[in-house]
Amino acid sequence: MRTRVALITAGVLIMGYATAGSLTDPDLDPAGVLLFAVAVLVGHDVLWMTAVLATGAGITRLVPRQHRPAVRVASISAAAITFVAFPLVVGDGRPADNPSALPLPYGRNLVFVLLIVSGVTLLTCLCRARRRRPTADRKKSERPAGSGPRTAGR
Amino acid sequence: MVRHTDNPVTGRFMLLRRLARRWWTPVPEPPATLRRGPLRPGVFRSTARSTRLTSQVGLALGVTFAVCFLTGLLSHLIQHPPAWFWWPSRPVHLYRFTQGVHVATGLASVPLLGVKLWSVHPRLFTWPPIRSVAHAAERAGVAVLVAAALFQTISGVLNISRWYAPMPFFFTAGHYWVAWLGVGGLLVHIGVQLPVAGAALARPAPGPGPDGLSRRGLLGGVAAAAGVITLTTVGQTVRPLSGLAVLAPRRPGVGPQGVPVNRTANGAGVRTLASDPAYRLLVVGPGRRVSLDLAALGALPQHTADLPIACVEGWSATGQWSGVRLRDLVALVSTDPDQATVLVESLQPAGRYRGSTVPPEHVRDPLTLIALRLGGEALHLDHGYPARLIAPNRPGVSQTKWIGRITVRESP
Repeated sequence: MRTRVALITAGVLIMGYATAGSLTDPDLDPAGVLLFAVAVLVGHDVLWMTAVLATGAGITRLVPRQHRPAVRVASISAAAITFVAFPLVVGDGRPADNPSALPLPYGRNLVFVLLIVSGVTLLTCLCRARRRRPTADRKKSERPAGSGPRTAGR
Repeated sequence: MVRHTDNPVTGRFMLLRRLARRWWTPVPEPPATLRRGPLRPGVFRSTARSTRLTSQVGLALGVTFAVCFLTGLLSHLIQHPPAWFWWPSRPVHLYRFTQGVHVATGLASVPLLGVKLWSVHPRLFTWPPIRSVAHAAERAGVAVLVAAALFQTISGVLNISRWYAPMPFFFTAGHYWVAWLGVGGLLVHIGVQLPVAGAALARPAPGPGPDGLSRRGLLGGVAAAAGVITLTTVGQTVRPLSGLAVLAPRRPGVGPQGVPVNRTANGAGVRTLASDPAYRLLVVGPGRRVSLDLAALGALPQHTADLPIACVEGWSATGQWSGVRLRDLVALVSTDPDQATVLVESLQPAGRYRGSTVPPEHVRDPLTLIALRLGGEALHLDHGYPARLIAPNRPGVSQTKWIGRITVRESP
């Protein structure tokens, strides 16, 4: 309990220090910080999470059950990579007089990385399907002809 | 006679007890008709979510945020040193390492933060939304923490991409103060959630859900995403991996004379002044001053050093710099160059980074140069022609370019 009280007290004090510091720093516009913080919070909870949940629902509906784990993992990677690369693809930070800043074709590179992620996912799904198929075939061939599944009462 | 064994109830004690009671007293539940949309029970059905998953991802995220905070704080202290702070000139590559780690861990935390927030998203729609004043305060604290975490991650990604338009504030100051806010929020969150997280981490792990995505599978996916992000970006500072750095904002070898540039001569507004044949470097000491043209600078003993430009944005590149030792210039105007602090000023007429202070340990380091050449050629204008500061173990923003004046202050 003491640890928790110490953590909460220290946390509240540090948050107070941060608030006081941001309000008194002449280099900082607190209204701009607040606006950005609210924008990213609302943008994440409303727009981003809606898109994520819709993607998850789409995977459940469209992807066969055995392949869903691989596709979900691939979606996490794709989303994270796209998020990091998006400002580079937009390229607003590339000044005309400085070719060393953002020097690469980021749109093409992002597609390239996403294709690799998709390729690895496809291979994983194929391997998984192939592993399951021989097992299913063997079970089928081992079953005597004409014998069906036993039912209770027979 | 009845004796009370309790402490006497004073007015102040009563007030505190009343406040504590009010703090935990349940507040009336909103009408059930308002429980619609995501507030309805059973809306979020993913079986991959669990307290254990949230705790494990939270633990990893706590570690990455701690690393980011400490390395970022270090960078801030180096750039704005308080009186008690001391930063050595060696090891040469220490700042390059700490700032590379800062940006790499920040980028790797993107999938961690995404999955962490996804795992607790249903709690945003918990019913009733507020159970007591204490519950409301806890939820407000979580909102501050989430906003701070998103703020830091998104502003960091925008900064390394040099995309400042979406940020209506000065990035450096905002990123610094919100880091403190996030750390405070994180400590409060850990304090509140410690028993829940501890129990979840000690509990046996549940099996995979109907979709087959186990907790371990999900954690593996997060690790894979962090790994891909790291592999495709970290080459901007780890030279052997630069070939894989297809999503890095910089390439170590791309730029004039094979070294990237952050601020160009045009951007700084110094092209005309820096190209002026009448250029003079003014060295001002406590007792005397000297004015040196390029020929005079070239006639002083020349030295060469392999030193990195290590940018606060996480990229770095090593160059072979040649020029005059700063200590030798200081010795022209000071009787005690080993104890001198130096203010190096650019020809830039204005700007937040037009000057930097060089502490005594960097001034006396033989690797600290006023560079005139890079890779054996005269400095490119964008690298600070006619003369620039290059010192070991310093942020690139403090390696002042287009130097016009050096002011020597002898320590008392």
